[in-house]
Amino acid sequence: MATADEASFSRAADRLGIAQPLLSRRIKTLEAHFGGLLFDRSRRQITTTELGVLLLPYARDVLDRAQRLRQVARSARRSRVCAVGVPADCAPAALARAIRAGTEHGITLGMRELPPAERVSGLADGSLGYALVRTAPEQAAFRVPLGLASAPAPDGTQGRTPRRTVHLEELRPRRGRTAAPAAPPPLLLLTEDQVSVFEDRLLRSAARAGLPKARIRPAGPAATALAETLAGSALLLCAEPFARQHGAHWAPLADRALHRGYDVSAAPGRAGAGDVPGWLAALLASAVGAVPARLDRPGPGAGGEDASARLAARG
Amino acid sequence: MSAAAARHPVYTGDSGALLDVAETIAAEWAELGVHGSFLARNLDTGEQLGFDIDESTPLASVVKVPLALVVLDLIEQGELDPALPVTVDPGTSSVGPTGLAAFRYPATVAVADLLLLTLSVSDNAAADALLDLVPVADVDARLRAWGCDGIRMRHRMNHLYECAAGAAGNDFSLALELAVRDERAGRHTIETLDPAHANAGSAAALVGLLRRVWCDEIAGPRATAELRRLMGLQVFTQRLASDLRADSLRWSGKTGTFLHLRHEIGVLEADSGDRVAMAALTRADRSAGLAADIDLAIGVAGREAFEVLRG
Repeated sequence: MATADEASFSRAADRLGIAQPLLSRRIKTLEAHFGGLLFDRSRRQITTTELGVLLLPYARDVLDRAQRLRQVARSARRSRVCAVGVPADCAPAALARAIRAGTEHGITLGMRELPPAERVSGLADGSLGYALVRTAPEQAAFRVPLGLASAPAPDGTQGRTPRRTVHLEELRPRRGRTAAPAAPPPLLLLTEDQVSVFEDRLLRSAARAGLPKARIRPAGPAATALAETLAGSALLLCAEPFARQHGAHWAPLADRALHRGYDVSAAPGRAGAGDVPGWLAALLASAVGAVPARLDRPGPGAGGEDASARLAARG
Repeated sequence: MSAAAARHPVYTGDSGALLDVAETIAAEWAELGVHGSFLARNLDTGEQLGFDIDESTPLASVVKVPLALVVLDLIEQGELDPALPVTVDPGTSSVGPTGLAAFRYPATVAVADLLLLTLSVSDNAAADALLDLVPVADVDARLRAWGCDGIRMRHRMNHLYECAAGAAGNDFSLALELAVRDERAGRHTIETLDPAHANAGSAAALVGLLRRVWCDEIAGPRATAELRRLMGLQVFTQRLASDLRADSLRWSGKTGTFLHLRHEIGVLEADSGDRVAMAALTRADRSAGLAADIDLAIGVAGREAFEVLRG
């Protein structure tokens, strides 16, 4: 086509961005295929033969169709949604950053909020492209501190004592107090933490800490669990952002083996098994509230807030 | 998690008030994940309260009480010398955390003092040294002869350790988890937890035995007096005695603890003259070696039963 338009092998090769000998070889192959010369090379300026002129519109048509096929394929690839399984209560702003980053990388990401077991099965059955999968925190790529949400102090003085970690033994009811011992508050487990490996570990630690098994219960719907927590009749196991967002007091569990651990996994068989782009893993980790491997102290901002609250309370 | 709590105990009680207390105790135990049997009987009025009192349970160290009674009876009969020296070598003796079982070098102790160690600090090596002198089968036969039908002696104390170590390879927490899981599944990986193969007894049989010991209706009077004295020397007070400690009260008991089992039997005698015999045989649904709340709940049961049963 280019040769016919330009009436020159060298100019056509330039336009196509290939070497002239290669172009000549390809035309010879075509001529052998169709059983006749397409170009008359006997004059100084090459001309298209009768056969060449006859085939030209058909060739143009074939090339146009091939071009359209390529375009359709590209736009189909663009609009295909790659589903990402994430836990409930991820930070929406961080998820939005991940979606935008996906667009920049030519993937349309769709966030699916799913319980832990469904994120694993979604990867296996191909309904999810990527997912945050729960693993033991000491082996996981990311660790999210898990702590206990409780009712905020009624007079707003929760900043008086510096934030500290919670040890399970401290949840045993105290003996020897004269006040009638109310039933000790249950520890509520969100769906995200109803994973057998985690539950087994928590129950074992709780037993060792002297807590009866009945103290640990499934939370049911998160809203009612939060309501009970804020009312002071329960303690909710959750991550810090979730507790803060709802105005609950929160302190991390001292035992990091009881924190949440996550790996970002890809569906097997998709573009190389277990291949997760680094940018996606990092953004999902921030969405889920993961802390850097070593640093798990709160930023100085929280401390400053507490300090001013303390001043206000003391007047 | 609460499925196991749906069991329904069979209550025993001579009046509505006594039944109420029995039900309260069973409910408090179930809340902590504890199941088992409890019986308290006023030795003078015969009034009693409890639940699941005929259920056979592996006795752990509680079996040292009938063992001691058989040995004391042989001494009273003149068939065994209380001064007989016995050498216990830690290299070959039974495993345990207290007494001769915890010794590092061989020790020679008289039979009467083996009895003291067996009952006061629950010494497994001392108990098994006694069983070297009086075979397990003889103890069991003597209990049969006395008509203690609900109590069986089938093995030495060290057999508890051997079976647990055999099943769990010396891993305490694994053995504990096996015990708890088996309890839920209703089978027995660790043979000494199977009432059909273990040293076993029911609350009713044990309280019956205590009543006969305190009323001198079994063995010889010197044997029963010495058993009462030795049980009064028990050093463990965290369980049935935990809420019954006062100068005006005297507790004589014997605990039994193995994996998830926490037992105690004993008699409380008050300055006022009230005497109440009790047996608490419990199985926990959690893998905890120490569970202060369970011990305390057993203690609360003891106190509530005593206060409702005393005159």
